[in-house]
Amino acid sequence: MDKLIQNILICGIGGQGVVLAGKIISLAAFEYGLDIKTSEVHGMSQRGGSVSTHIRFGEKIFSPLIPENKASIILSFDIYETARYTNYFANEKTIIISSNRGKIPSWTSKIKNGLINSGAVAGFLKNNFNFLNLLDDKKIALKLGNIKVSNIVLIGMLSGFTEIKKDTWLNAVEKNVPKKTIELNVKAFLAGRNYYENKIF
Amino acid sequence: MTANSCNIINIDGSSNSDAKASALMTGNEAVASGANKAGVYIAVGYPGTPSSEILPFLAKFKSAIVNWSINEKTALEIAIGASIGFKRSIFTTKHVGLNVASDPLMTLAITGVRGGLVVVTADDPGMHSSQNEQDNRLYAKFAKIAMLEPSDSQECFSFTAAAFDISEKFDTPVILRTTTRISHSRSIVSIQDITQTEGNFNLSPSNSDYISKNKSYIKDIEKFVMVPIYAKKRHKSAIERLKYLADFSNNSGINKIEYGSLDFGIITSGISYQYAKEIIPSASFLKLSFSYPIPDILVREFVKNVRNVVIIEELEPFIQNEISSLGINLKGKEYFPRDGELNLDLVEQGLSGAGFFKNKNTNTRRFNFNMFDDPENIQESLPPRLPALCSGCPHTSVFYALKKLKVPVMGDIGCYTLGALPPLNAMDSCISMGLAFGAAQGLSLSKSSTKKTVGIMGDSTFFHSGITSLIDAKYNSACFTAVILDNATTAMTGGQDHPGTGRNLSLDQSFSNKIDIKKIIEGIGIDEIYTIDPYDYNETYKTLKKALQSDKLNVVITNRPCVLYPKKLNYGKKFEIIKGCLGCDLCLQIGCPSILTSYTLNISGNSNKKLPFIDESCIGCSICKDICVFNFIDEIK
Repeated sequence: MDKLIQNILICGIGGQGVVLAGKIISLAAFEYGLDIKTSEVHGMSQRGGSVSTHIRFGEKIFSPLIPENKASIILSFDIYETARYTNYFANEKTIIISSNRGKIPSWTSKIKNGLINSGAVAGFLKNNFNFLNLLDDKKIALKLGNIKVSNIVLIGMLSGFTEIKKDTWLNAVEKNVPKKTIELNVKAFLAGRNYYENKIF
Repeated sequence: MTANSCNIINIDGSSNSDAKASALMTGNEAVASGANKAGVYIAVGYPGTPSSEILPFLAKFKSAIVNWSINEKTALEIAIGASIGFKRSIFTTKHVGLNVASDPLMTLAITGVRGGLVVVTADDPGMHSSQNEQDNRLYAKFAKIAMLEPSDSQECFSFTAAAFDISEKFDTPVILRTTTRISHSRSIVSIQDITQTEGNFNLSPSNSDYISKNKSYIKDIEKFVMVPIYAKKRHKSAIERLKYLADFSNNSGINKIEYGSLDFGIITSGISYQYAKEIIPSASFLKLSFSYPIPDILVREFVKNVRNVVIIEELEPFIQNEISSLGINLKGKEYFPRDGELNLDLVEQGLSGAGFFKNKNTNTRRFNFNMFDDPENIQESLPPRLPALCSGCPHTSVFYALKKLKVPVMGDIGCYTLGALPPLNAMDSCISMGLAFGAAQGLSLSKSSTKKTVGIMGDSTFFHSGITSLIDAKYNSACFTAVILDNATTAMTGGQDHPGTGRNLSLDQSFSNKIDIKKIIEGIGIDEIYTIDPYDYNETYKTLKKALQSDKLNVVITNRPCVLYPKKLNYGKKFEIIKGCLGCDLCLQIGCPSILTSYTLNISGNSNKKLPFIDESCIGCSICKDICVFNFIDEIK
């Protein structure tokens, strides 16, 4: 049964667009004709806390939550959050699409010593996972004109790892972003998609 | 694989010609669509996670009067009035909000209804965004009223629509109880004519009085005036009603037995059904959708036919106790926790404990990390991420000032509850909505602190239940400083309107019914009122200090809008930490998410010192500039 279910875990920090990413991915899967369930976080945890959205699609889905060790794709907007959710990763073949940057709230470093840095997290991920895609999504987004579309860049890359058609993806992006920003978001999506297409696996 | 035929339902209220139309919806959106389908006339509530998205979605249909109320009690009372006027009404709340509305609920339970009345309570097991995780299924039993528990968005839609019929047929308010994982999960809903859905519950209203069409008002004091002489009769009818509801629970087809293996059976409801169904699809299931009163006949049949039966439910042993009262002892809470949310892993562990399958070695599912990497070590050294106030949040400076002033602060529920967390650490209580001013009065009377007490709450909370306690404070000559953080929205739940904004979901937006907080306070007779701009930290500190030195009850109101709602704000100014900063870390004490620690900047002679820097997420509030007493933060010009 597991083979038929795609489990995508999206993680990041509240306010980074984790809920929006979940909406786009789930709409794409839905329009493709799959059964789908998602679970998102609202309210207090959204204020700068660590947040995740679970997305599951396949022929028939019961639980909206992914069990531990069953996520086949990780989409992460912060490299520290990628490491935080490793207990959801299925195995060394789990596909990881992650920002290579991570944010540390300043007061955190003051109250806690011995924090790991992003380079060490990247090393840990490289040592253990075969399909690690660390992207400088923020730089790519800035080049396109707005850092806010960095999560769409990562979704573009993720899209390549699914059987859902590119047009379906583009449609899902267009339906979920403000009208004025459609062009920019489509560009960001295609930029991310390019990274997938130019990469040899 | 065929594509799902239609992804967007018509929310303009027009009839959908495509009978197979389906949509991907959250539970909340599906509840709203179900209410719309049932022809709800009035929809009211107070925002509260995870219930907040129901009313805004329902308002989009433009078919009903949909409004935020000042609090849950008033909201339910509006719904009751509409029902007395033969109209269908719905009231939405989070679990703790039903406590506020419990006074009208408990007596509505015996008067019954005219137009169908549905109470949606969205519970929050696991307390994602709540102060407790009470199980509101107990309210159904407490009030002796019907309850429905959907397990996905499809059921949210069809059960909500059916709930109005059930309410009218049995002359009862109906509780529709969801949980966070139902309200905030998306799944596919097919928008069919609900009379065509499976388990057509045979619900033509038995009493023509309750058909909600063109009824003009009539008095019925025996039904709605609950003085003892009439209330005694109504209570008897409410008890009598339980028999009919139990009959419906057993025979309507809404509660179903799904026979599988006759060795293993599961009795469950809500989201727990989905977890169990995924883990052990071969078992037999008694799925309780109409979970109060429980279907005693179905339970007896199920335990007679299935050898090992276990109950899976989140939070309280509600089903377990109901079944136990039938004289049937089944296990449930022995295997599944009574606190927190369930999930697939916990359900699997519990079923394993109950002997449904051999103990799985969970280690075999884990992959082996590279020998040099200990994932637990790495997880422990990740930066902890508590939720925090936003960059530019106007609450920041008030809490920083209160921290400096070292006064006891009775707090409340909203974004500003985050002022209790590090690094601000400037709030000492968060118990119930509107607690702050009452608790501030009580704490000051206790004389346990030599300092004047502060009570602090937001604008929406002030309207919700702060006004009454401020009147009480004046009436009883209390002495504390009341701070109202007026950011002109209900921020934590997503920016809903309230009396202070003057707008509402169904109101004509061309005029405003804005109610002025300051005038209310003047009306109470409090004459020492300060209005401050929280972006001016020095003024904020001085004003709070002055208010705290006064031996009178006084009020401080802030006047900066929320940076997220109704629209994201950016003041266009950018700030930087300029050369010369020695890294004293004072600016870190306000907890602004835009001030980060740099690992790359070093100062000569002190190469280990980390210096803060301000990143691009800064919106230019300028609070940090005031905080840095050494003037090392400056605007980038």
